Amino acid sequence: MRGFSVLLQKEFREAWRGWKFLWIPLVFALLGMNDPLTNYYMMDILKAVGNVPEGFEMLIPELMPVDLLQASIGQFQTIGLLIMMATFVGSISKERASGMATLFYIRPISFSAYFLSKFIVMSTVSFISILAGFTASVYYTSILYGTLDIGSLLASFFTYYIWLLFVIAVALMMSASFKTVIATTCAFTLIFLGQIVDMIVGIFWTVSPWKLASYGTLLIRGTMDMSDYWWSLSTTAICTIICISIGIVMMKRNASMVKI
Amino acid sequence: MMEELAKVPWAVIAPLIVVQLILMIVALVDLRKIHATNGPKILWVFIIIFANLIGSIAYFIVGRRQS
Amino acid sequence: MTTLLQVTGLTKQFAEHRVVDDVSFLLEEKTSTALIGPNGAGKTTTLSMLTGLLKPTLGSVKMRAGDLRANIGFLPQYPQFHPWLSAVEFTEMAARLNGVAAKQAKMEAQKTLEFVGLGNAEHKKIATFSGGMKQRLGIAQAIVHKPKLLLLDEPVSALDPVGRREVLDLLKGLQQETTILYSTHILNDAEEMTDQLLFLQNGRLVEQGTLREVRQRFDEQNYVIEFDTEEEAKLFASSSDRVKGCYVFVALINEEPTMKELLQRLSECPYTIRKVERQTASLEEIFMKVAKKA
Repeated sequence: MRGFSVLLQKEFREAWRGWKFLWIPLVFALLGMNDPLTNYYMMDILKAVGNVPEGFEMLIPELMPVDLLQASIGQFQTIGLLIMMATFVGSISKERASGMATLFYIRPISFSAYFLSKFIVMSTVSFISILAGFTASVYYTSILYGTLDIGSLLASFFTYYIWLLFVIAVALMMSASFKTVIATTCAFTLIFLGQIVDMIVGIFWTVSPWKLASYGTLLIRGTMDMSDYWWSLSTTAICTIICISIGIVMMKRNASMVKI
Repeated sequence: MMEELAKVPWAVIAPLIVVQLILMIVALVDLRKIHATNGPKILWVFIIIFANLIGSIAYFIVGRRQS
Repeated sequence: MTTLLQVTGLTKQFAEHRVVDDVSFLLEEKTSTALIGPNGAGKTTTLSMLTGLLKPTLGSVKMRAGDLRANIGFLPQYPQFHPWLSAVEFTEMAARLNGVAAKQAKMEAQKTLEFVGLGNAEHKKIATFSGGMKQRLGIAQAIVHKPKLLLLDEPVSALDPVGRREVLDLLKGLQQETTILYSTHILNDAEEMTDQLLFLQNGRLVEQGTLREVRQRFDEQNYVIEFDTEEEAKLFASSSDRVKGCYVFVALINEEPTMKELLQRLSECPYTIRKVERQTASLEEIFMKVAKKA
């Protein structure tokens, strides 16, 4: 792990000076606000638009606070992941293609250290991001709908974070293995297609990393089968570790792809 | 006037405005300092101000040029 | 003199194409070696293999005393930096990644930046740097950890004449302490600071030796005598001499004839002689000859 602290500092500086610690969390906060707000003001919005016939009463189902959190997580899962992966997926491949990596690769550094320093900084950015997102969502839910149990809320938060770590590991592994364009395609396909597949035919299995996001809200609802939960959680953790290991090996193997 | 202001549900609106404003200001500050952008700088000023939320986010994703 | 680096049979093959083909040479400690050759000769590929960035298809690179990677400094032809770092941050990071202790690294970085002439720009972001400044920073990051071997890929080719002069002087200052291997296609630069020459062409090492040795091998030494007219030149020339315009070239073979003998011959000559000189080819001319031979 030679050079770990120096590389960590470098990655941290990069994220900090690129405002990543600020703008990505803010975007997540906005995504978190979106659903509680629009649902609450739905009738007003429809009226303001003016297409509601006289005496029309739309049957809006009674929403529980957890429904809104689930909706917010749905936002994180689409737009949130899109933005996060788009910012992270070039991390290794772009450095290689631009030649910025050259002056690092020639030194006696450890590729594990380089890869992990990127992983850690990204994990920190995403931790702050979903913290902001969850806070915003829960804040609006609690003033507009009602409060959530803090214990299960935390459990749901960390469950979602484990899933995000997996997403980051996938993005970085792809970035280490391929050029940016291919890496982006592969990472997006794996994460989003996985979600779609899991949505369509996911009833046939109960253990998969792609299920973690919804399992988080099931924890709050109290309808989670705990054995499925733990299995999925550990599967995700193992997949994350595998992705990191492959990523490190590929980063080292592809070091010669660097532009000189 | 004051009554009307008091009627506004500030607890609901304030955070939203604050977040939007921070994002916009940060984008503008960074745009001022940054060396080169993808596309003309002045264009990004307009995008950030007029397409405020989407504009600022777009700036951070595709506007900043690092090399 | 002790050998620092031993390169044996270095070969790199990309698909069908041999970019570097069986290159072997030695680098002696604290000498400068110029790797010269036309564009596409395989200079950059050779250097990349020496840095360890590129794995050779065949052959080996051995450094006496220690790990190669820990003991080199490398300046790519177009060094790329993270633009959001300042010069001193980058140089300090470079030092620390090469194992210089944290406390020392900052001092070394500042000293090195001072040395390359970036002392007053050390806190500026690299994004604002000009090409010449980036080249200096590139040298700074290559020497900050005091490597045993300094590899430079076209260190001055991209610079304007003033910048080139300054960087060359900088490198000359380093000659006493480090072994330097640099590639260039500009021969005047090579002529200026070099103990050994390596001519690379189409991936093969077609000629090597000290500047003197290569000179002796390729320089057909001549005396040049300038006359007023072509007629006179032709009349003066013996069968073994060469005439070109109003110049006569008298070939020197094993230092024969000596200048004295030549002057004796000239003294008997009835025509006006404008100029007599012993001609040594410039590196440029030698280079052309080497290229033709290969």
